[in-house]
Amino acid sequence: MSTPLLEIKDLHARVKNKEIIKGLNLTINAGEVHAIMGPNGAGKSSLSYVLCGKEGYEVTGGSVYFKGKNLLAMSTEERARFGLFLSMQAPVEIPGVIMSNFLKQSLNSVLKYQGKEELDTLSFMKLLKNEAESLDIKPEFFKRFVNVGFSGGEKKRFETLQMSLLKPDFCILDEIDSGLDIDALKTVAEGVNNLRTPKNAFLVITHYQRLLTYIVPDVVHIFADGHIIKTGNASLAEQLEKNGYADFITGE
Amino acid sequence: MPALPLVQNVDLFLNDKPSVYALRQKALQSLQKTGFPAKKNEAWKYTDVALILNGEFTLNTNDEPCGNHRCCSSANNQTETINITFCNGRLHLEEFATPEGLTITPLPLALYNGDYKPYLCHAYNMEKHPFAALNQFYLEQGVCIYVEKEKKISHPIVINYKNHAKQSLLQNIHNLIILEQGAQAEILENYISETDSPYFINTVNEIYIKNNAGLNHYKVQKAPISANHITLNTVKVQESGKYNQYYKSSGAKISRQENLISLNGSNATAEVYAAYTAKKGCLTDITSNINHLLPQTQSNQFIKGVLESDSSAVFQGKIHISPYAVKTSGQQLHKALYLADNAILNCKPELEIFADDVKCSHGASCGEIDKEQLFYLTSRGISKDDAIKILTKAHLDEITALIPNKMLQELYFA
Repeated sequence: MSTPLLEIKDLHARVKNKEIIKGLNLTINAGEVHAIMGPNGAGKSSLSYVLCGKEGYEVTGGSVYFKGKNLLAMSTEERARFGLFLSMQAPVEIPGVIMSNFLKQSLNSVLKYQGKEELDTLSFMKLLKNEAESLDIKPEFFKRFVNVGFSGGEKKRFETLQMSLLKPDFCILDEIDSGLDIDALKTVAEGVNNLRTPKNAFLVITHYQRLLTYIVPDVVHIFADGHIIKTGNASLAEQLEKNGYADFITGE
Repeated sequence: MPALPLVQNVDLFLNDKPSVYALRQKALQSLQKTGFPAKKNEAWKYTDVALILNGEFTLNTNDEPCGNHRCCSSANNQTETINITFCNGRLHLEEFATPEGLTITPLPLALYNGDYKPYLCHAYNMEKHPFAALNQFYLEQGVCIYVEKEKKISHPIVINYKNHAKQSLLQNIHNLIILEQGAQAEILENYISETDSPYFINTVNEIYIKNNAGLNHYKVQKAPISANHITLNTVKVQESGKYNQYYKSSGAKISRQENLISLNGSNATAEVYAAYTAKKGCLTDITSNINHLLPQTQSNQFIKGVLESDSSAVFQGKIHISPYAVKTSGQQLHKALYLADNAILNCKPELEIFADDVKCSHGASCGEIDKEQLFYLTSRGISKDDAIKILTKAHLDEITALIPNKMLQELYFA
């Protein structure tokens, strides 16, 4: 059997003195889409921050291997360059930083790490225009400040645009459906589906089954109190939608 | 009497002309009386100038300051701007090709002819500004820029202050800028050095803006961190006149920009925008003193800074509103970003309001780089160092984005 794309073993992590991840095991192979569902405050977003190495999220035990490498030994930027991407739940606004400049620097950092040729402004803008078009993002956007004054839908489309530029091997989509109306949800989901290849994988974090009718997962996990309490196929999400989390959490 | 630091016996041009000699001697007497600023002087409380006072400087008395240096030949190549160049503290004496309505006179010539007497050395009180007294003691180098009534000078005037001397020079430059009624001009001052010599440049500007005239004044100070820089920038604005300043500072061991602005006519306005980076081990001081003397005058100051590790910065903003100055508005805002815990920021607003019916405000904030923003950028593969650069630039860009002349913005503020 080939090495899994991502292998998390008995992961423990804390923020300040609060334990947030309590013995998590998760294996994701290339080509798969996994969904993580769970009640508010279960630690779903924290898991994504731990995987990205955000400051303040301290791993106290366990291991995470990504493409055969020890992910936990890398800095945030190294993880990104190595092919990890987090689409954030609430992307932060950065006044004064122009979108296209940011995207170019981000892409070139990744390309440089991968030993590929960096793009000059002209070829970058061409690529950007192309990728943006399929996500219904207008060129006026590129001159705006990063995420400043964006609607919920614009923010998520912009996250998806970054994914399509950087072509990561593993994407975490943290509540990519929050703040989206049904049309925007379809556009974003379509964008994500277009990025699927046999070589990459997705971890979809969501509250609602609705998203999973557009991005169909191979595996669904129910996450509560810092670890996975149940794993199943797509029908598990439907069951959850009907009966809520209470069944799983109390009936364990 | 003990010898004063920085005061040297030197035979300046026109020491034999009584009126000029008198100006210099008056300055010396003032300096002997006051001495140089110490910590006990409120206006200099946070800016220790001992390093400058203990420095060993020589004066450049060479009439051909730079010989065959390339700055001479390239000085007037740019046709987009009208260029004036000082090298090692001395003005390049040359014929200035000026458009109609603009006169540029080297200060030595103006002193020789006795021009501009009602303006020269009138805008400051030497006892309150000892470094201006030092400047006046050495009164010789400088330039007088005069714009006639109702003339609009479309090309920006660029004054370059270049240092390429290996030895540590003491450079005193005194400029006079006069805009007659309804005149419009843009002036940029550019301070640069090609060597790491710890020179000291001490500048005084006297700017007179008459009724309805308008000046956009740009200044870029990016000397190496060995240099020292002190400027007293005085501005008198008459009725409905406008003075706008855009200042960027990112150099010098000690740098102080002191604005002394008087709004002398009703509806006169002054706006001061500054973006500074206090480099490691350096001190950046922006001090302003804005006097609202008549009704409906307006001033606005917006300053943003970045403090590197082990740096310090000072912002002192005094707004004085006289009893006659009703319906005036005076605003000031200072926002700093510090990159390390060991940086020191001294921020002191002073509002002296003697009139009713005025609008005044002051604000100051100081914070670290936003951790969420830093995480966002690094999670996109951008290195932490680059991300910090991006965020500090974004912080300062809010100021530079306000620059009305996009050509100057691109050439000097990018």
